[in-house]
Amino acid sequence: MSVASSTPSFASHVVVAAPRSTGALARAACLLAMGSVLGLVESWLVPALPLPGVRLGLANLAVVLAMVLVGDGRALAVSIGRVIIVGAATGSLGGPGSALAAGGALAAWTVMVALRRLGGERFSVVGWSAAGSAAHVLAQIGVACALAGSFAPLFVAPVSVLAGLVFGVIIGYLALLLLSRIPLAAYASR
Amino acid sequence: MTKWDRVLVIAIVVLAITALPVATALAGGGANRVVITGPHGRTVLPIGVPRRVTVEGALGPVEVVISDGAARVTESSCPDKLCVRSGPIAAAGHAVVCAPNGVTVVVGGDERGVFDAVVR
Repeated sequence: MSVASSTPSFASHVVVAAPRSTGALARAACLLAMGSVLGLVESWLVPALPLPGVRLGLANLAVVLAMVLVGDGRALAVSIGRVIIVGAATGSLGGPGSALAAGGALAAWTVMVALRRLGGERFSVVGWSAAGSAAHVLAQIGVACALAGSFAPLFVAPVSVLAGLVFGVIIGYLALLLLSRIPLAAYASR
Repeated sequence: MTKWDRVLVIAIVVLAITALPVATALAGGGANRVVITGPHGRTVLPIGVPRRVTVEGALGPVEVVISDGAARVTESSCPDKLCVRSGPIAAAGHAVVCAPNGVTVVVGGDERGVFDAVVR
């Protein structure tokens, strides 16, 4: 994709909005809103998917963008905040759905930040998104096993991980596409 | 997508495919024990070990035999012997009940067994 060649590498050394600036706060809030909307849309689409355990992971787009635009810490806030807001909006807050989503979101964020911190230049947003998606799916299955009290959810594990991986790569490219549209000067703003 | 991204994706794909048999086996809900409940109390036995055990029911002795990974009631002091005629059970969740004696033989393992969902 020609997008990749025109965008700067979003590795760990990329300058990111200063954590304490109001600009970063506003940006993070917008990303949280975006993530919440994506999460809600996905909750409407879920019944339409024929395969069990296949998730689009749309809301991860906001988290990945947040990692680049406002930093890892705020990205975690976007991730967890999204779970809470979508849970409240769909009336499933505190229930098993929220537990699954929270576990997945935490695992995804941990893996993505670990990749960024440890991998440095080697991984792009696509890699983070793909790994984050896979981690999300695995963690959700793990939480499902714990809630169900059996290993039965593992049946869908391989298919789910592969599907999550595919969508993770797509989301990663989507993030790259969006980031390429932001003027470079915006990254250095404080 | 960087070179390492590709490596990562391929690694995850390989991992998912190779984990397929492990995941299916773990999720199989293996039946691994036989629980005999009755007036005598509760006896838990592994399903893999051939055994013959006699428990005391309300009307008299009930003999349970575990062999070939299945459990069955071979002798009972009840009048109709329905439990004896039930045959062997091997799957998790399946049970043989001797109602007059108040003895139940249940195969346990995956807690859910043959049920798709349990609502409390």
